[in-house]
Amino acid sequence: MNFFNRTVRLLAFAALTLGFVAHAADSARAIIAKAALAEPPAQRIETITSLLGSGDESIAGLLAAWKEDALFVYTAPDGSKIPVQLFGDKDDQDSQTATRVDSGKPILSSAGKSLRLVASELTAVEHTSALRRAMKAVLDLLDLSTPDLKKRISAIQTLGFAQDAEKLAALQARQKIESVPSAQLALREAIALIELKDASPEVKLASLKELAALHTIGSADALKAALADAEAANHPSLAAAARLALNAVDSHLTTVNFFGTLFRGLSLGSILLVVALGLAITFGLMGVINMAHGEMIAVGAYTTYVVQNIFGTGLALSPFGFSFHIPGMNTGGWLYESYFIFALPLSFLSAALVGIAMERTVIQWLYRRPLESLLATWGVSLFLQQFFRRVFGSNNVQVSSPSYLSDNWTFHDIIFGWNRVFVIGFAGLIVLGVWLVLTRTSLGLLIRAVMQNRNMAACMGVRTERVNMLTFGLGSGLAGLAGAFLSQIGNVGPSLGQSYIVDCFMTVVVGGVGNLPGTVVSAFGIGLADQSLQQILLNPVLGKITVLVAIILFLQWRPAGIFVTKSRSLEG
Amino acid sequence: MSAPTTRRIEFIAVAVIATLLIVVFPLLNSAGVISNFTLNLWGKYLCYALLAISVDLLWGYTGLLSLGQALFFSLGGYMLGMHLMRMIGDLGQYHKPIPDFLIFLGWTELPTFWKPFSSFPFAAAMVILLPGLVALVFGFLAFRSRIKGVYFSILTQALTYGGSLMFFRNDMLMGGNNGFTDYKFLLGADVRDASTQRALFIATAVTLVLVYLGCSWLSRTKLGLIQRAIRDGENRVLFSGYAAAGFKLFIFVLAALIASVGGALYVPQVGIINPSEMTPDKSLEAVVWVAVGGRGTLVGPVVGAIVVNALKSWATRAYPDLWLFFLGGMFVIVVLFLPGGIVSIPDRIKMWWARRADANAATSAPVAP
Repeated sequence: MNFFNRTVRLLAFAALTLGFVAHAADSARAIIAKAALAEPPAQRIETITSLLGSGDESIAGLLAAWKEDALFVYTAPDGSKIPVQLFGDKDDQDSQTATRVDSGKPILSSAGKSLRLVASELTAVEHTSALRRAMKAVLDLLDLSTPDLKKRISAIQTLGFAQDAEKLAALQARQKIESVPSAQLALREAIALIELKDASPEVKLASLKELAALHTIGSADALKAALADAEAANHPSLAAAARLALNAVDSHLTTVNFFGTLFRGLSLGSILLVVALGLAITFGLMGVINMAHGEMIAVGAYTTYVVQNIFGTGLALSPFGFSFHIPGMNTGGWLYESYFIFALPLSFLSAALVGIAMERTVIQWLYRRPLESLLATWGVSLFLQQFFRRVFGSNNVQVSSPSYLSDNWTFHDIIFGWNRVFVIGFAGLIVLGVWLVLTRTSLGLLIRAVMQNRNMAACMGVRTERVNMLTFGLGSGLAGLAGAFLSQIGNVGPSLGQSYIVDCFMTVVVGGVGNLPGTVVSAFGIGLADQSLQQILLNPVLGKITVLVAIILFLQWRPAGIFVTKSRSLEG
Repeated sequence: MSAPTTRRIEFIAVAVIATLLIVVFPLLNSAGVISNFTLNLWGKYLCYALLAISVDLLWGYTGLLSLGQALFFSLGGYMLGMHLMRMIGDLGQYHKPIPDFLIFLGWTELPTFWKPFSSFPFAAAMVILLPGLVALVFGFLAFRSRIKGVYFSILTQALTYGGSLMFFRNDMLMGGNNGFTDYKFLLGADVRDASTQRALFIATAVTLVLVYLGCSWLSRTKLGLIQRAIRDGENRVLFSGYAAAGFKLFIFVLAALIASVGGALYVPQVGIINPSEMTPDKSLEAVVWVAVGGRGTLVGPVVGAIVVNALKSWATRAYPDLWLFFLGGMFVIVVLFLPGGIVSIPDRIKMWWARRADANAATSAPVAP
């Protein structure tokens, strides 16, 4: 259980206990047991009614049993009366295991064994219609009172959307004791929605005003129905109020969409940035068209997958007819969830190593032949893809997000997924890191020198071969990091890289080759453009195609990208 | 060997191969020596050879590595495919006069842009016009802003990618994911008939020979010279007063048309066209054929397309899991060790032989003091 949820529960629980100090002393079970034994029956109703507002999970089952004549009173050998429930299969004497209502534990006989009783020999606890009404009131409020805030709010909303006037009383009862602001808001919405169905125009008008003030997205459908009703009933003031409320909801929706799109655009931009930054180094700075860049991303993603399994139950692989088993550490809890922290550096390293191996075997011969580096690296990419297929299978593998990345925040109806927030933050960190490496370290100095003029740098005594190797390793490693992130956002499969490679190249080309700030700007530009177009055109594929066309047209205007690296060289 | 002799040898070789393809193979097929399957397979290879020539015309001769040729190839295929779909008539699954997938999408009558494709001349004209127009517009934009080298490759890749995304959509009304298949008639003949397939094979072979001769002639003209000059030093061409963009645009459109015609011949022989033929991967695969065969020659792409695809047909059946390793490895090895491709092997051996002879002469003959 993660920290956040636990805190919420604690808070909710605290809130409840504040509201109902009496319940802190007696548990719901004890109260029901007391009610079962209470005499006369009027006392029972009072005791049951004291449960109003409690969200205890045991209530529903016990009260249902009571109503179905399945709650019994057992008289112990010492004469004390104990309310019990019977569970389990009947044996040949029709006896079942008996559990105490007040504790939920089996009754023990004097010998210490759990007692078995026969239903027909016990007396069922009686219930009058007044008592059943009291129980129903408690049950109605039960879901509204669960200590789990999310469940409570969803229960409130379900009641509101149902617009059932019978539930109004329960909601209003809850409203009096609810202390969490978000639940209060949900209650106000639900009550207003139910009152929308009220016969009297005054109540309707008031509820419309309330809904206009709340302008929740969920109330739009009910408001449209109310508007249609008011128009049909020829009631101008009601219709005007409904229109006003609808407008309030619409303008709220526009704001939410705007900021939602902005956020999604930023997060897509960050993903593009993380993915393209490595390419900005290998392609932008080194001039190598690495078509296998996508597969470097996949290497990172698969590394995350392997690390996750090592922290878990281990991994059985059977590539090329061999089969072996990577043992798992079988960790659980926070240690298991921390696998991602370990996966990050490892995915960087593994992708960097693959990149360096590729540079040594293939790319180092092709620095002067960029078109051919495109072809050779595409060959490598095919090779690696098939390798993934043989090792990890051709289906997508499952990488589960740690809970600190899989939750989300809802702020004014805008959903902020933590993984996306994390990607935005992380993209910033990576850019900062790369910038520091390139401008503040001696390796960065050497990289820049070699990329500007390979021959001159060699003449000055720079070991260009080594610098090339390290630069390529750095670029590939960044792709691996990107892969670790993509594993948290989408599927991990052998063709993971293919879906990003075109976008990667576009980002780098639009930004201006050899220009890291340009890559940053273009990544966010393309991300925002893509998400806004999706929002406007309501079609992801059309949005993507429009972005591609826009990029081609943009390059008409600025053939060398947003930021041009100035050079006196004719071919530069 | 003097140039005219080489020319004569080339001419004789082309004549022999053309006779083989156009006359002998179909005759052997009708006599039952060559199976229908084999002839059909070779028909497919020849279509690929057309695609490979179009890649080579740009890459080998002009220095423009276009990754958009698969787009033009499939556009040509789609144009003829639309006509073939119309010719199914009401013989489809639903027995309605419009293609099945449209009924599946809820259409009851033909969309307007589908209507003219009932006529074969229109469809044939569109095979030329549509890819030509796409190439003209894209090429104009690309060459006007002097996009070249790898940027050109990346942009054409994006163009192909965008095209495939578009054709994958059902709303495009071009069959979506499944594309077009289950053809029945072409020009009144049953497409699945052996004789029709034979005729299609002959048509493909004739087209290939004509394209080969045409390109061979083109490379000997002044335009061919400028083409190669652009490949070797575009700035010098520009500074000599030639509008390189115009020449490049002409070649780009021409190559698109060759690919498109290849695609149009491919579809009735293979019996299916879908957007997976349009992906950048297919373009790159065509580039492999050219690289393996030998770029900058006209024989190279033809040889490469046939050899690689024959190998693929065999390997995908014999070693389905290893084929991609093989293709990838072949790519790396050809680029690194055999930049001239298969057709350069005789020259390499000759050079190696000459060098060895030189070395022998140098060691055996004592140097005069």
